[in-house]
Amino acid sequence: MGGFPILSVMTFLPLAGALLVMLVRAATAGSSKGESSSQSRKAVLLAAFIISAATFVASVAAFFAFDPSVDGYQLVEQYAWYGPISYKLGIDGLSLSLVLLTTFLTPICLLASWNSIEKRVTEYVIAFLVLETFMIGVFVSLDLVLFYIFFEAGLIPMFLIVGIWGGKDRVYAAFKFFLYTLIGSLLMLIAMVYMILAAGSADFEVLEKFAFAPGIQTWLWLAFMASFAVKLPMWPVHTWLPDAHVQAPTAGSVILAGVLLKMGGYGMLRFSLPMFPDASALFQPAMFALAVIAIVYTSLVAWRQTDMKKLIAYSSVAHMGFVTLGIFAFNETGVQGAIFQMLSHGLISGALFLIVGVVYDRMHTREIAAYGGLVNRMPIYASFFMLFTMANVGLPGTSGFVGEILTMVGGFQAATWAAAGAALGVIFSAVYMLTLYRRTVFGEITNPHLNDIKDMNIVEWICIAPLAALTILFGVAPNLIFNLTDSSTARVLSLMAGGQ
Amino acid sequence: MLPDSLLIYIVLAPGVAALTGLFHKWIGDRVVMTVTTGVVLSCGALSIYQLIAYAAGIGGAAEAVHHASGYDAYLTAGVEAAHVELRQHIITLMPWIHVGDFQANWAIRVDTLSIVMMAVITGVSGLVHLYSWGYMSEDPHKSRFFAYLSLFTFMMLMLVVADNFIQLFFGWEGVGLASYLLIGFWYTKKAPNDASIKAFVTNRVGDFGLALGIMAVFFVFKSVEFGPVLEAIRTNAVVTPMFAEAAPAREAVMVFFGERVYALELIGILLFIGAMGKSAQFFLHVWLPDAMEGPTPVSALIHAATMVTAGVYLVCLLSPIYEYTFYASGMVALVGAVTALYAATVGMAQNDIKRVIAYSTCSQLGYMFFAAGVGAYEAAMFHLFTHAFFKALLFLGAGSVIHGMHHEQDMRRMGGLAKFMPLTYAAMMIGTIAIIGLGLPHTKLGFSGFFSKDAILESAFAGATAGVSFAEVAFWFGLLAAFLTSFYSWRLIYMTFHGPAPHEAHAHDAHAHDAHAHDAHGQDAHAHDDHARDDHGHGHDHKPHESPLVMLIPLALLSIGAVFAGFYFYDAFVDANNEAFWAGAIYRAETNHVLHDRHNVPEWVLWAPLVVTVGGFLIATFTYFFNRGVGARVAASGGPLHALFSNKWYFDEIYQATLVRGSAFLGNLFWKADKKVIDGIGPDGLAKLAGMSSRRLSLMHSGYLYHYAFVIIGAAIIFGAVLWLRSGGVN
Repeated sequence: MGGFPILSVMTFLPLAGALLVMLVRAATAGSSKGESSSQSRKAVLLAAFIISAATFVASVAAFFAFDPSVDGYQLVEQYAWYGPISYKLGIDGLSLSLVLLTTFLTPICLLASWNSIEKRVTEYVIAFLVLETFMIGVFVSLDLVLFYIFFEAGLIPMFLIVGIWGGKDRVYAAFKFFLYTLIGSLLMLIAMVYMILAAGSADFEVLEKFAFAPGIQTWLWLAFMASFAVKLPMWPVHTWLPDAHVQAPTAGSVILAGVLLKMGGYGMLRFSLPMFPDASALFQPAMFALAVIAIVYTSLVAWRQTDMKKLIAYSSVAHMGFVTLGIFAFNETGVQGAIFQMLSHGLISGALFLIVGVVYDRMHTREIAAYGGLVNRMPIYASFFMLFTMANVGLPGTSGFVGEILTMVGGFQAATWAAAGAALGVIFSAVYMLTLYRRTVFGEITNPHLNDIKDMNIVEWICIAPLAALTILFGVAPNLIFNLTDSSTARVLSLMAGGQ
Repeated sequence: MLPDSLLIYIVLAPGVAALTGLFHKWIGDRVVMTVTTGVVLSCGALSIYQLIAYAAGIGGAAEAVHHASGYDAYLTAGVEAAHVELRQHIITLMPWIHVGDFQANWAIRVDTLSIVMMAVITGVSGLVHLYSWGYMSEDPHKSRFFAYLSLFTFMMLMLVVADNFIQLFFGWEGVGLASYLLIGFWYTKKAPNDASIKAFVTNRVGDFGLALGIMAVFFVFKSVEFGPVLEAIRTNAVVTPMFAEAAPAREAVMVFFGERVYALELIGILLFIGAMGKSAQFFLHVWLPDAMEGPTPVSALIHAATMVTAGVYLVCLLSPIYEYTFYASGMVALVGAVTALYAATVGMAQNDIKRVIAYSTCSQLGYMFFAAGVGAYEAAMFHLFTHAFFKALLFLGAGSVIHGMHHEQDMRRMGGLAKFMPLTYAAMMIGTIAIIGLGLPHTKLGFSGFFSKDAILESAFAGATAGVSFAEVAFWFGLLAAFLTSFYSWRLIYMTFHGPAPHEAHAHDAHAHDAHAHDAHGQDAHAHDDHARDDHGHGHDHKPHESPLVMLIPLALLSIGAVFAGFYFYDAFVDANNEAFWAGAIYRAETNHVLHDRHNVPEWVLWAPLVVTVGGFLIATFTYFFNRGVGARVAASGGPLHALFSNKWYFDEIYQATLVRGSAFLGNLFWKADKKVIDGIGPDGLAKLAGMSSRRLSLMHSGYLYHYAFVIIGAAIIFGAVLWLRSGGVN
């Protein structure tokens, strides 16, 4: 221990920023009578952007302080708290890569709100910054109680972002989102209490080595999975996602698809496999079945959608199916592929929601039928959209391919039928994405409102271009990520093998 | 052999050139066109030089093998030896995906196969780039077009120089992307958009097989690199697939869907499904005719000479696998033979000039596959090579006709063009004579198709004699297809270039045409006819005209290849020097002698192709030259056979009714299940049970009890599923 507490700084920087924004706002509220003029609105967004950018810099510093060749958790900070509970932070390659994804996407989200969020901007950025702290906290916590606090608390700002800044049916969507995630969390809490009592510690490193009896494991596994399955989401507890996405503001969708879903996959890798190895093995066929159903079923549903965001939301469920498949393959290719798929999906689906946001800001509709022929007016937009369409269908050379092929290769080694089922999804993804693209971008302009539509502006460029660059970079040189996640994958698998 | 730097240039430069398209706003169309064309032409010149030097060097003796520094892998090859040591040079550019045993690099693999493919790809591509200066001269999106062409060239090169399955897959899907973009190049029109999606999705069906095949390869060999995998099969090394006992590679068994199957058979079949998609073989051929919606230079490059041959290349590259399979290689032979015949029957009854040639391509690809299926991989590659010349020639010639006819593609509205465009006519004649394979047995007199097609048919016959599965079917189907090929090829020439010129009597013809267009084409082509007619409207006062020089030069150069390529490369590809030429890039089992045995086939087998070809020519001449009305009358009488052929055996209709509708039905059903069943039981049901409307959030806490119930029920279902799966024993 000792040294500079970089993880704590990184985690709580956004929260501190949120407090700062709140204080400044309270101080100036009297003078401007709470009316948020355009100028103060931008000032608030800019302040939030700078805070989140600083957080990104902090996470990059953590990246450089991290040594991927060393096994186990690094940069650990631990302070006793209460009995078996302690304040303990630390990272391995898995958590670091997800932290980087979070800190990278948050500034983009705030920037993407530049023109689209009109009301209660101060509260909006506070919600976002608080959310960022909680998201980072989830990935760096090494203590059950701490983890649970971050994991649950993250629900609240997300709930507010959908419920306040969302679309027409935002309350229903927020309710559904809250309901689903809360149920899982409650079961997880009970399981956690049991674990702490049984092991006498809430420390991950202790729990990883503690061998729970196989019978108990099954129940603990189910309780945790109730939460992770909702988060990821897996079929059949996925139906909150399309509603939440459709109603959420663009930035909310980006962070939801980009980071929040990954908590499910992260949880499986951090808890289910290493702590309950026997139960994981027991449930492997069921998880494969659910993964394949998720991939095939939601891909077909995605094809039938008339709402752009709903289509991409369903496509997210399908892509998360590959994550489940890879994780439960219990081999290096599968797990590495699953981690990669999570990161890649964070970039690609985030970008796709931004892409939808670009035209939504102009036309205020997400109906596919309202578009058509965009390429005639927005060629640059069309090019970016094409890139992410291809990335989403897993074209080799984009990051989308690497995750899909590795999870399938890994899955094939465990159960051929699961890989074959997942591969079917690769066909369907082409169907729904190309249909979406063709209906919105290709063709003649039929809707007269589209005649004066403008191509991407500078803010949209700044949001989308980095995602495009990373999608290609990680597609061509994925080893950049594998080098980072290599040892944590090996660790998960060895813990699992040790337990069995 | 070229030095590494030039090889890297050939492969990567077209990709870099394609990027200039992104900056066309600043640098202008002409710069993009000049850069892409210049780069690809230079690659073409280098690659063709390399191939010719390589083939010529082999003719001498072993000393032809180059010993330049750095060519450590190009070691001596015993020319006399029955099985030549593999000569191969691999340039590793950078690592790509490294996860455990899964090691895939970005690499350039140079062996005879890739040398041949590089020459075909860059040679044809360079000429197509040049040709497009004329053909696309009036298009407002020239930069985009040239950038796509170069992108395609790059992807195709990456495919053929891959040293592992994953880079091959990159090129494989990459050419699919380029093909998709180019078929849908005119993106405001409906038909090209439909066709481009159809092409991509059908290819994805094939890629489903290819991807599973690659997974199976990794499963058995724990590697995705060609080197170790193919070496294990060549030497019959012991492998240990998961969940199975160690066994020699050729007899290894693996578990697939709970069944124990021979690993090589499974791998061979799965990979071939990929080849069927890319190469438009029976069942997965439906996208190729529709792909003709793309600009004609694209059809020549992608949908005739290069991309569609990727499947053939794959089978030849993986010859060690197919050499030791019975079912997989039998499937290759059978599917190839059926496609050769099927596509030829459909080609007879089409009226769109490009569709005739498209079906002809499909049919010729069938020849290549059954050649590979019976074990004559060299003959398959030879036909791939000669076919590239004459099929690109035919397509570019057709493009010249379409250009000269102001975007008319219906042959019933053509005729008498020989006097308006004599050079195009000459080129098309050469292409036709080459494709029907005219030549004299026992001599080396013949056009290039003669050498390759006859080598295939003789090999098939030799294979049948040796008892190779489906070789006999392949021979007879191939012979019959040769007859039909001659018929439809001459039909095309007569309808287009001979007889009265309809534009001179246009008013008289127009009505009859409308009536035909409807029943002959069906809906897809109808939309397309409309656009042809629009274009024709403003141009039909003009007479047909010969194409500009920039389009004729490629025709002339391809004509040279169509005439002489067969003669020049015969020894190297399939005859006396073939073992030294291939240098192990194509592998033959000790028991496979078809390529040699084809010299021992009965005399009639040598003459049969010539006889059926002349027969086809005579019938076409009778029905479309001397009695021009006969063909049209047969079409109008609407016999069942004609209906079957002109409607492509109703494949589109059947797929539409089953696969497309079925998936749509399932999609709708699942969507409803989401809303009614899952939401109905889940959140909405809970809300109702708790007696609260979804808008009254404050009451949500009262629902906790039911949340538990919901989760417990869900858990019970999952648990039940686990028990079922555990006991059911489905792996």
